[in-house]
Amino acid sequence: MIPNARSHKAGKVVERMGKKLNRQLVGSLVGCVHCGMCTESCHYVLANPDDPTYAPAYKADQIRKIFKRNFDWTGKVFPWWVHAQDIRTDEDLEKLKDIVFGKCTNCRRCSLNCPMGVDFALLNRMARGLLVSVGVMPEGVAVVSKDQWEVGNQMGVLPQEYIETLEWLSDELEEEFKDPKARIPIDKMDAEIVYAINPREVKYDPRTISDAARIFYLAGENWTMPSEGWDMTNFGLFSGDDELGGAVALRVYDKVRELRGKTLVLSECGHGYRSTRCEGPNWSGKGVPFVIESSVLTMLRYIREGRIRVDKVKNKESYTFHDSCNNARSCGFFEEPRELLDLVVTDFREMYPNRAENYCCTGGGGAMSMSEYTPQRLKSAVIKADQLKATGAKAVVTSCHNCVDGLTDVIRHYKLGMKVTQLVNLTANAVIIPEKVSVPVFIPMPVEALPLQGFKILVVDDEPDILAFLSAVLEDQGATVIQAADGEQALALTIEEKPDLITLDLSMPGKNGGYVFEAIRNNPEIASTKVCIITGKPELRRLIYERPVAPPDGYLDKPVNEETLLTNIRMILEMKHPVGHA
Amino acid sequence: MSETLRFVSDDLQLMALSFMAIVYMIRIRWLLGFKASRDRQAPSERKDTSSFKGIVYSWANIAMPWSMESTRRMFPFYLQFMVFHLAVAANITMSFVIPYAPGLMKPMIVVRLLQILFSAAVAIGCYRMYRRFSNPAMRLISTPDDFFSLALLTVWSFVSIFAAPNRPDLGEVPLMVYFIMTAFFLVYVPFSKISHYLYYPFTRFYFGRTMGYRGVYPVKRAAQPKPTHT
Repeated sequence: MIPNARSHKAGKVVERMGKKLNRQLVGSLVGCVHCGMCTESCHYVLANPDDPTYAPAYKADQIRKIFKRNFDWTGKVFPWWVHAQDIRTDEDLEKLKDIVFGKCTNCRRCSLNCPMGVDFALLNRMARGLLVSVGVMPEGVAVVSKDQWEVGNQMGVLPQEYIETLEWLSDELEEEFKDPKARIPIDKMDAEIVYAINPREVKYDPRTISDAARIFYLAGENWTMPSEGWDMTNFGLFSGDDELGGAVALRVYDKVRELRGKTLVLSECGHGYRSTRCEGPNWSGKGVPFVIESSVLTMLRYIREGRIRVDKVKNKESYTFHDSCNNARSCGFFEEPRELLDLVVTDFREMYPNRAENYCCTGGGGAMSMSEYTPQRLKSAVIKADQLKATGAKAVVTSCHNCVDGLTDVIRHYKLGMKVTQLVNLTANAVIIPEKVSVPVFIPMPVEALPLQGFKILVVDDEPDILAFLSAVLEDQGATVIQAADGEQALALTIEEKPDLITLDLSMPGKNGGYVFEAIRNNPEIASTKVCIITGKPELRRLIYERPVAPPDGYLDKPVNEETLLTNIRMILEMKHPVGHA
Repeated sequence: MSETLRFVSDDLQLMALSFMAIVYMIRIRWLLGFKASRDRQAPSERKDTSSFKGIVYSWANIAMPWSMESTRRMFPFYLQFMVFHLAVAANITMSFVIPYAPGLMKPMIVVRLLQILFSAAVAIGCYRMYRRFSNPAMRLISTPDDFFSLALLTVWSFVSIFAAPNRPDLGEVPLMVYFIMTAFFLVYVPFSKISHYLYYPFTRFYFGRTMGYRGVYPVKRAAQPKPTHT
């Protein structure tokens, strides 16, 4: 009876909750004793003392009641006794959305203060994920998630925009040091460090990229930035979508593997660090065979090893440090930034409370992208504002791009007149430029040849999807691919490019594949070109083989899968190069 | 001692205990039926901690009020918690001692200490009930089970004050009420929030394991220096 009374979306949420539950989640769902110890650890509660609905236990209960009603038998038998309640309508889902997205930044401060070890943030993230799975989410979350799925980064930075930014930053760097080696290497193989960043840096703060590049250059590092998989942020952490989280993390890991990088260094971003360093392997279900570290640790090591020298007098202002929740409370990363600060600034003032007990910048958990909740976010930010003010510092340093935006908002709203900066900026500013910079020359390891490397293949098909699929598969195997979308273009390119092989579609507008095939065979200049027919019309096979010319070298019916395609292509090409291709 | 009192202090207790144990076993089996997620990432760079240390720290958290901001800031509340739970533990122990080792209850000092402890628990229980009603956030999150469990423990502690002398010769009613309440308590516990101690080792284990592995546990902090007056 209960399932029938639910809306379709509500039904899906309950169904998926059952699949998502693990021992940690269930422990947190049954372990709360409603003691209220968590209440005053939440900045929302502290800033809204008259609104009890901000209490972490209350917020968690909105998830817990669904669990109890559907999965815990006490709630199934005596729902009113334990406040078990089902979720039934789309309005219920909207209400839950406003709680889990609008009243909590998943900062985990309440989890750390729960005597029972109930991880409220874990529950909140699960609820977000369930809502996202049925399309109930703030618009900003939908937009950013879509960008990360489709464009490959959460700010929709296009590949050209990214590469161009790195190019002009390289030009500036080269100009500054008057050294052609002072550039940002892209997709360099076998680098010691592959440096991944937050797309915000490309879009709004390229100075952090050039500061990092300056440090890598001065340290004589063998480093690179990837052309793809460079976004180390991960909106899956905020949206609770583990699938997105895993896919985004894998994108970064795969690129490092492809480049055979030794260490993946992440620029200063709290949620990016947590997602890529701590959660990514769990979401993707795979371990990572290389080291992942924060750029803070890298910079600290350079100074300790004497690879760069710094003069802290260059940063004379008074600075305090804001611990990102994801760095400190979820990844235990809080001492290294302080050690580095101690080396690059003269006046450091601790903020209280600090490290894992610090308060959220109030822009965490994706809150910056949810404009509908901005008023309540800024109201709750009074706790952070008071904390900042009490330090008496002129600037706040943080190792998180999200916190940079969050803190900037808080400072502007509460008129604190402070600056926000990052450790990379301070380190780059404090660095002493030596008279001569020696950039070691690294000889890349010989690259293992891909099976189709060195082969030129012309792919001919009038359907763009098939053209793209065939090209991608062949390019992944190292082939140089040329494309033609019709018969005339195919003939012209065959004469001009002299490909090793042509994959040829038969049904095409204008000059069809049969005509093109016969023309190739009749032209002595290109007659020996290998041809593999790939057609969706097997009945045309007879017409091809009946032509008064040498038969094609291969024949495949559509749809063709990757494995079949490659097996046939290799077989055809090996006939041409029986001892392998040099 | 009447046969009825003997029955409620012995057979009835054993039956209630057995029932509780069976329900607990079912409950643990249910919890273990859910797969535990694991940490696939590399451990923290912090060398002074590990999953193991995190687990130990997490389990010991409750005995370290300085380890959490909530217990530091609400220390009186923490003290109440300690006294209340000690009283409950003493009460459960007493339900075994009276029928099976009554000699331990002979010294008057033991009886008086227990009565003081139970009285404190009653006072704390009453205060907590008041807090649940008067604090808007507490009222909002409290379920009928929360109120009933607290009331049950408070009344049980009150009854224990009179049962502690263990003098059936002066009248069996206090002991009879005490043992019947104890049996009810044992039967009710597995279905109520009072069974939180069953989950505590699990929640704290997994939270501590992850936090230790990631270098968050043991918590490090720089305390705010106290202002100096010259």
